[in-house]
Amino acid sequence: MTAATCNDVSLSWYEASARQRIDALVDAGSFCEFIGPELREISPHLAIFDLPEQFDDGIVVGRGRLDGKAVLLAAQEGRFMGGAFGEVHGAKLTGLLRAARALSQDVLILFDTGGVRLQEANAGELAIAEIMRAVIEARRAGVNVVGLIGGRAGCYGGGSLIAGTCSKVIISEQGRLSVSGPEVIETNRGIEEFDSRDRALVWRTMGGKHRFLIGGADAFVDDEALAFRQSAIVALKISPGCDVAVLAAEQARLERRLQRFGEVEDAVEIWQTLGIDQPTEIPARPTGAFLRAANNRESADDAR
Amino acid sequence: MSDWGMQKAALGERLAAGRQHARGKVVPIPDLPAFLKGVIRSGDRVCLEGDNQKQADMLASALANLDPRDVHDLHMVQSGVVLPSHLDIFEKGIARRLDFSYSGPQSARIARMLFGGKIELGAVHTYLELFARYFIDLTPNVALIAAVSADKDGNLYTGPNTEDTPTVVEATSYKNGLVVAQVTEIVDKVPRVDIPGDLVHFVVEAGRPFYVEPLFTRDPAAITETQILTAMLAIKGIYAPYGVRRLNHGIGFNTAAIELLLPTYGEKLGLKDKVCTHFALNPHPTMIPAIEAGWVEQIHCFGSEVGMEDYVAARSDVFFTGPDGSLRSNRAFCQTAGLYACDMFIGSTLQIDLEGHSSTVTTSRIAGFGGAPNMGSDPRGRRHPSEPWLKAGAEADPDTNAALRRGRKLVVQIGETFGDRNTPLFVERLDALDLAEELKLDLAPVMVYSDDVTHIVTEEGIANLLMCRSKDEREQAIRGVAGYTDIGRARDAKLIEQLRQRGVIQRPEDLGIDPLDADRNLLAARSIKDLMLASGGLYRPPSRFRNW
Repeated sequence: MTAATCNDVSLSWYEASARQRIDALVDAGSFCEFIGPELREISPHLAIFDLPEQFDDGIVVGRGRLDGKAVLLAAQEGRFMGGAFGEVHGAKLTGLLRAARALSQDVLILFDTGGVRLQEANAGELAIAEIMRAVIEARRAGVNVVGLIGGRAGCYGGGSLIAGTCSKVIISEQGRLSVSGPEVIETNRGIEEFDSRDRALVWRTMGGKHRFLIGGADAFVDDEALAFRQSAIVALKISPGCDVAVLAAEQARLERRLQRFGEVEDAVEIWQTLGIDQPTEIPARPTGAFLRAANNRESADDAR
Repeated sequence: MSDWGMQKAALGERLAAGRQHARGKVVPIPDLPAFLKGVIRSGDRVCLEGDNQKQADMLASALANLDPRDVHDLHMVQSGVVLPSHLDIFEKGIARRLDFSYSGPQSARIARMLFGGKIELGAVHTYLELFARYFIDLTPNVALIAAVSADKDGNLYTGPNTEDTPTVVEATSYKNGLVVAQVTEIVDKVPRVDIPGDLVHFVVEAGRPFYVEPLFTRDPAAITETQILTAMLAIKGIYAPYGVRRLNHGIGFNTAAIELLLPTYGEKLGLKDKVCTHFALNPHPTMIPAIEAGWVEQIHCFGSEVGMEDYVAARSDVFFTGPDGSLRSNRAFCQTAGLYACDMFIGSTLQIDLEGHSSTVTTSRIAGFGGAPNMGSDPRGRRHPSEPWLKAGAEADPDTNAALRRGRKLVVQIGETFGDRNTPLFVERLDALDLAEELKLDLAPVMVYSDDVTHIVTEEGIANLLMCRSKDEREQAIRGVAGYTDIGRARDAKLIEQLRQRGVIQRPEDLGIDPLDADRNLLAARSIKDLMLASGGLYRPPSRFRNW
């Protein structure tokens, strides 16, 4: 099959905006937005707090083609309120996932989020629950839901829970995936527990390389839009399914992981236990060398 | 006066008291409190070494732990009041009087203590002024300094962060003062002799390195497109037309953006070898791409920068290094170089008023000056000509006979009209004035005086104050680049159009710059990792800057 054309200029996923990411990800010119900014579906809550709104409420949803295949896409804009979930933001993603099930089309979620928006916390938490349900229902109907993580805001809080329900997760070194953010942990447990200003610590605990090594993500790519695109094409070719056996296998894997690593103090010890050669060098390794070193990683056992 | 030699005798007594607690020149850590009590006298003038980068932190804690009944009323003369222990010394009543230069992280506490009468303030200086006064009327009786290693004779290796040490030792030791050094380790032979042992009376082996703050590391990931636009304006509108080859950069993100645009935007403008060839500058990590692209011939440094040691050592063609291979920095010499041998200073500030005075003081903080006012001032004693200096002089005073006309140093303030947390850069009245009133200071802490500043750059354009012929024009030129701040909105649009016709104000479009081109893709490095990669792995950023 001949490769469909795409925007092949080098674009840092970490640096790009939500719209730039979508443009670079799908086949050139194939994206069509639903409920675009011209419809001005803004948050009904932010004005109460005298906060600025955005006409797309920080998420772009729509349809496009990936290597010729029709897909649905959602991209969070991390530069608007840290990509946080509010009522409208969440509803757009829920609707997209329900459409995916109805249309039997795969979904790509481009995460870039700190979690739920504090100013509309109840609506945001409800949205997270609705989205997770919609992901599972779509997957039960045979649809792939692939998460892509590598934006500035990372993938935290409710976003990380949604990522956990995806059929595949693609991550870059810059990507961070964790339920609680560094500042939250430091605030609640003290700086001795977690120094949020120690960025090397943050990245080796929550960053893309570590998540890939412990099976929290399925593919590791360079911080390049093209690399995300190629990885997404591959991810859509495998349909892992989602039944009780898969979930039971995942549960067993997580229990095993806790037994194996529950006592360790630092990610480097986990890498050592995994049998990785020169574990302290992992953060400095370029992608190729890292992937070779990552042969012994914890895989998700196709559980996703 | 009949008793000549009293100072030597007093030093002899201190030495004798110190030797009771030392083996040769080496004072064991457990004996340090008794030692300090023995060699320091109440009322002494004490220099505790520390600036905006390196700190004699162990000696600072030891001094702060003395009993004020034994030692009190000290007069501290030191570059930096940076560590909590520096102020504990006053809180506990060990010291009373203070002459200093920079206070950075302690700026709020120092203001509270001045207000509460815990500190009797001599003056806030620039580095160079304070160094000068060490040799005139603030000569220390005791200096507590920091080095990397010492031998048993007291020869010191200060490593890349030599900074203030030679100046402090020179002033103290040659005037019968006592010098005590904390060192990481005592070795048989030091890698190079930065301070000769006969000037150093005692050493303490700390067993760990002295503290160094990575003050000059700016993460390219945090540079905004507005900052990139201001950087493009500065490069095309000031660096290029004046042909600025010898200069100093401040530490803000705007100048970091300039550094990262040199190999991309600067290259495109054909400015390589024409600007930015010689610097008085710390080893900024954001300089790596420009250095690697062959832009820079030479850099002399005030201090070092954490993580840059190996890179600097491998680039001795650019940096000053010793026979051991590592950087030799010297704050006093570099400040002098910045003052007399540079044609431009460019830096960010927090507030600019309508006359063009600028200040980094915000209410209830005394951050001190450091070196910026020396860099950011026109040295009236300068006599050697250079193209930018002569051109700036001619713009300021076109009618005087050229052979009798002073040149002018370019002093550029750069920033966004709205800074951090949307605070306006331009103000009717500097907060520094309120602070001076509150603390009854003779002088408001102004970083760069109005008559020194030559250009102001914001995203709205460049104001050339050299070409303003009246107070009114000057005010309108400043309003003309003040954007949507209250100051900017109160402009006289007609007068500003006239200033623009004369080139006093230049907008991006006047310089052929499209603001939409100000894109992060223009940066030669967009992350700390890019800088590390550009250095070929020689730059080793500290943990807090690594997002990998």
